[in-house]
Amino acid sequence: MTDQAATGRVAQLTDIWKSYGAVPVLKGVSLALQAGEVHALLGGNGAGKSSLMKIMSGVIAANSGAIEINGRPLTQASPAHAQELGLYLVPQEAHILPNQSVLENICLGLSASPRALRPRVAQLVAELAVSLDLDAQAAALEIAERQIVEILRGLVRDARVLILDEPTSALTPFETNALFQRVRKLQAQGVGIFFISHKLREIREICRTISVLRDGVIVLSGSLDSYSDAEIIDAMSRVQITEASGKDRTGRKVSQIGQPRLSVRGLSGEGFRNISLDVRAGEILGLAGVVGAGRTEFAETLFGLRPQTAGSVVFDGAEMKKRSPRVCIDRGLVYLPEDRQQHGLFLEAPLFWNVSSYLVHRLPFFLRPGAERKVFETFRSSMGIKCTGPGQEARGLSGGNQQKVLLAKCLSARPKVLILDEPTRGVDVAARNDIYDLIRKLAAEGVAIILISSDFDEIEQLADRVEVMAFGQSGGALTDNISVDAIARLAFGASEARHA
Amino acid sequence: MLDLFARNRVATLIVVLAVAYAAIGAVAPGYLSGATASVVISNSLVLMLISLGTMIVILTRNIDVSSGSVLGLSAAVLGLSLNAGAGLPLAIVFCLMTGAAAGAFNGLMVAYLGIPSIVATLGTLGLYRGIMLVLTGGRWIEDLPQGLKALAGNLGFGFSALTVVVLLLVALAWHVLRKTRFGRYFYAVGDNRAAAHHLGVPVRRVQFTAFVATGLCAALAGLVFAAQIGFIPNQAGNGVELKAIAVNVLGGVSLLGGTGSVAGVFSAVIFITSIDSALVFLKIPAYWNDFIAGAILLSVLLLDGRIRQIIDRRIRARRYAVHARGPVPSDETTTAQTVEAGR
Repeated sequence: MTDQAATGRVAQLTDIWKSYGAVPVLKGVSLALQAGEVHALLGGNGAGKSSLMKIMSGVIAANSGAIEINGRPLTQASPAHAQELGLYLVPQEAHILPNQSVLENICLGLSASPRALRPRVAQLVAELAVSLDLDAQAAALEIAERQIVEILRGLVRDARVLILDEPTSALTPFETNALFQRVRKLQAQGVGIFFISHKLREIREICRTISVLRDGVIVLSGSLDSYSDAEIIDAMSRVQITEASGKDRTGRKVSQIGQPRLSVRGLSGEGFRNISLDVRAGEILGLAGVVGAGRTEFAETLFGLRPQTAGSVVFDGAEMKKRSPRVCIDRGLVYLPEDRQQHGLFLEAPLFWNVSSYLVHRLPFFLRPGAERKVFETFRSSMGIKCTGPGQEARGLSGGNQQKVLLAKCLSARPKVLILDEPTRGVDVAARNDIYDLIRKLAAEGVAIILISSDFDEIEQLADRVEVMAFGQSGGALTDNISVDAIARLAFGASEARHA
Repeated sequence: MLDLFARNRVATLIVVLAVAYAAIGAVAPGYLSGATASVVISNSLVLMLISLGTMIVILTRNIDVSSGSVLGLSAAVLGLSLNAGAGLPLAIVFCLMTGAAAGAFNGLMVAYLGIPSIVATLGTLGLYRGIMLVLTGGRWIEDLPQGLKALAGNLGFGFSALTVVVLLLVALAWHVLRKTRFGRYFYAVGDNRAAAHHLGVPVRRVQFTAFVATGLCAALAGLVFAAQIGFIPNQAGNGVELKAIAVNVLGGVSLLGGTGSVAGVFSAVIFITSIDSALVFLKIPAYWNDFIAGAILLSVLLLDGRIRQIIDRRIRARRYAVHARGPVPSDETTTAQTVEAGR
């Protein structure tokens, strides 16, 4: 690859080394990106992917090595410098200024005034086929909309190299398609794109070339067509992974599914109405739908975080009228929130505090950190949480491990009904498989699970039964023949009609 | 109507102020006069300058509690150089340079050495006051030249040269913060530091500049103080930094950074100073001042909080109202039926 003509090359990384203290994270990485190339970049937790991205975009400096963007060297570790050279990183977690308008958010840092850029931004919004109120305050934006703001920032800067860090993890399939169309347009215009994703299907759809990073080294690189999914996954993890796409319901039989644990009848609240569902002990109920279908609002209402306007919730045969998170946790109804940074973790606190935080009201007045640490160690070994110890801050963990810590927190409350909201968002393939195994194991132990996911593959793999929500209402149910197609038809039947 | 108040702290303040003026005017008819207005304006100058400087720092999500000491130190430098025979212009330059240097030191510690602003400025609150006391030997500076006091003299309509300077500065701050790219950076840094850095905003330089601007404002406040009072006690400016923070909160500046306007701070300063002058006019003993000012501050904030809650609830209801509308389009049911039938 490196022998190709330099004329078409928009980015070139040569022998990049980086270590944090004594821990090396990048050991001589070289990468090249041609104009019009969409290059997939994969790697497990801690492979060094995010460090590489940060170095490329000028957020941190490499220890050694050279970076050229558009033939000009990146000489200082400053995002502004990288953007000037024509590289824009669209981060996975959007950087939003909540008190500024959407337009100001997009135009911040540019020399032209927001007012002057408005027509251009409006045009980009139209081309991206999204609805976005440019004058709204950014604080009100949903996750998907924040992502779109970031993508617009890159587009409005006329970047020649775009790094898309898991751009679809918060987008609906409809929005993903729109994004891919935009990516193809950019590709035709000669923009080079690094596409970071854990979803092999998406990578196959949009990327031509691939590089896999493991332990700070590129272990596989070249044309995407020459590698099979299995080879890629193998290169990434070198850990034997249970067949990623195969169904695994062998561990449990339908006969194990027991008594109804939770019955919801005609529940209405903010963003959804008239939802009824049952979930029984040992059952995994998939709650599918697109982003904005009201699933999270429904879950938060169940958990007592939002007011309900109508309906009833029966838990273990008794109606739960006044619900608060505390009551729910004590009864055994536990919710794993969608946004682990904002609603899930105490990022600055040690891991063992995080794990015991659901039960902190049950701890003795004089805390016993030793016992809490022991509880954490049990989860650490059973779930394979990679960390330096129970005292490490949650902020230092990778996405997959953070998610495992969150799950441990939920499990410490000994749930009877566990609501998992997007449990594998931003989690790499290996950790995702760990989490899938864990969910299956929990169900086998008799926990009733409501699995909320926009990833229909995930629902297909895990769920015994599926309820679909679309536009805040029940969109239908599937009991057998659960397939991605069937789920998608129910989830989009309504939404596409709305968009049209 | 509620929307107007929630979005616009200035409007809230003006309404409350108008009601208060009307009430005081009814009790003591002589209060509503040009003389009162001129007193309020000239009494507000010191607080105006300190509040304006504090606002710029708060916008960037930092805080400066050393302004009172910077005021005292700059005033002392002014007074000492005047009494040592320096000309007024030169002494004013020394005074402003002292403020800028004090602010730059704060900014250096916060922006470049990464010390939390509350810690750094608490330290310099003591340090700067200490330097002032060392310089003056703990004595008051008296016998200031007439030329200095003349700066606070009436030029007509109760406006002094200093009033004009301060009002021009307020207008300048308004223009820079609202209308320039660099001004927007102050909001951006306070709103989301990481995002601002990511988008190429020179975060450290912005934070540093904010502290220097605050130091300059405090030095100017020192000049105003010395000119108006005619002497410099060694506790000059003591406690004014906390009053300025209260003014900022009252004026709608979020202590979390990223929001606030010069107009809000301006109205809040006028508001607070008017209360003080009204109490004097009503012959309420001076020891009631703090109690009444505190009570009014709390009432305005409580009222404001209630209004905000109501508005938030309305916005939420409106956002989710979409989902409560009529039945789903028929396409959806047919799709669902097709799937059902297909099984």
